[in-house]
Amino acid sequence: MTTLQPSAPPADLPAGSVLSVRGLRKDFTLHTIDGRVVEALHGVDLDVAPGEHVALAGTSGAGKSTLLRCVYRTYLAGGGHIWFRTAAGDLVDVAALPDATVADLRGHEIGYVSQFLKAQPRRSVLTTVASAGTARGMARDAAREAAAAALRQVGIAEHLWDMHATVLSGGQKQRVNIAAGTIAPPRLLLLDEPVSALDPANRSAVLDLIARLERTGTAVLSVFHDLDAIERLATRVVVLGGGRVLASGPPEQILRDSSLPLEVAR
Amino acid sequence: MSTATVAPPAWALKVEGLGRIYGDPSPESVPGTGPESGTVISPATGAVVAAWDVGFEVAPGEALGIIGESGSGKSTVMRCIAGDEDATTGTINLRGVGDGTVDVRTLDPSARRGLRLHQLSAVYQDPAAGLNLDVTAGGNIADPLTAVGWRHYGRIRERAASLLRRVEVPLDRMDDLVRTFSGGMRQRVQIAKALANDPPVLLLDEPTTGLDASVAAGVLDLLRELLEETGVAAVVVSHDFAVIDLLTRRVLVMQHGRVVESGLTDQLLEDPQHPYSQQLVAAARG
Repeated sequence: MTTLQPSAPPADLPAGSVLSVRGLRKDFTLHTIDGRVVEALHGVDLDVAPGEHVALAGTSGAGKSTLLRCVYRTYLAGGGHIWFRTAAGDLVDVAALPDATVADLRGHEIGYVSQFLKAQPRRSVLTTVASAGTARGMARDAAREAAAAALRQVGIAEHLWDMHATVLSGGQKQRVNIAAGTIAPPRLLLLDEPVSALDPANRSAVLDLIARLERTGTAVLSVFHDLDAIERLATRVVVLGGGRVLASGPPEQILRDSSLPLEVAR
Repeated sequence: MSTATVAPPAWALKVEGLGRIYGDPSPESVPGTGPESGTVISPATGAVVAAWDVGFEVAPGEALGIIGESGSGKSTVMRCIAGDEDATTGTINLRGVGDGTVDVRTLDPSARRGLRLHQLSAVYQDPAAGLNLDVTAGGNIADPLTAVGWRHYGRIRERAASLLRRVEVPLDRMDDLVRTFSGGMRQRVQIAKALANDPPVLLLDEPTTGLDASVAAGVLDLLRELLEETGVAAVVVSHDFAVIDLLTRRVLVMQHGRVVESGLTDQLLEDPQHPYSQQLVAAARG
């Protein structure tokens, strides 16, 4: 077992940031394939402030999803720090916190929405979304009301609400997922291709929902596979390539820079 | 600027340095056993080092999983905590006993058995291990109630009925012998009995192994709801990642009597570190 030693945050972190990633490294040792090592991140620095939406861009395999998963601790960082400012104002290194503490942070302060629904089996759509709210401290009744509102917003018809979330179509699941992820918005929301399976109308409704998060002060770090979503939502784009940050700037500048390796529909 | 002061939640159960050796309990039995040696049998003494240096904490409302193949020591750890057998070494503390200052292994045997009434309950794979099959469902549940001093027949019936209702056993079966129940129903009665006195710590040893898939799903859903509702601190021992994934948020991986990895359950499934954990995950994925 690896023991990660906690260390003090550097003095030069941006004072207002919710998330400050410093020198993040990640590789995978595949013991089942002769101990092969797959390298993913080679020292990534990144900051996200409250109300800011930072979109990650880069070609497939650039490490975008790996970065999100390291921040959520689904992947263990191989080096570096993931500084997160809690609601109480503490600066903690997610890469070095005890598991139980990370589990608590996930319940209340850090949310993750993947392109695949991770719902409890045999649980209704409404309960799936509402229980995400109660997990983040909402009262039961308020959570059900908010869940209903969120489901209407993303266009899930009411006759589906008492069905098991796991039997829905791919696009419906994705919308249930985003409804659950944004009800009682966490301080930091990680979005990994949350609209990849949606038709244009539903996609637009979900993007609207994400855009409104800015006003709640939620810090968003996202991966989208299309330029349009990035342009519409991102306040800043960070381009990854070969496990490093290649460029960072406003979307209008970055997305028009043809020298950058962006695997998006331009 | 304040620094990392976020503290892990207070534990309900704490286990430290737990070891269980069958045979010669001397320190000479330990070297040459464990994952590196690929065996639990001591080359020096022939003793079986079923579990060694196992430690963890579980908070109220939290479920911790212990996963590993048969013979990895996971059930031994559970039986040592439950008091079904005594550990060879290590400490076991419960928040409810002397506010966590007492190692329950130092209690006299009757006091230790008494813990099973108020402080911790166990649910076993085999319902016969937790129930008397030749007693009615209601009678089985009345047992732990009368043991802690319930005397009023009507209230005991009421409590038993409410527990059976909670675990979705039809009340018209309350006065039937458990022997006449199906496997899934027996398991539900065992769970109801385990919850009779609202224990703060619940140990679940392969609670759905051996049940038909649809029956197992029902029991799993029930356990998931109970863990969410009751705020109990739970330890779930299973060889099945689906069970661990559904019920727990943290997990220990055991192999040859040792903990080889611990982590968040999703991290262990997505980014397992130890070669054995990677093997387990690869096998579960098929």
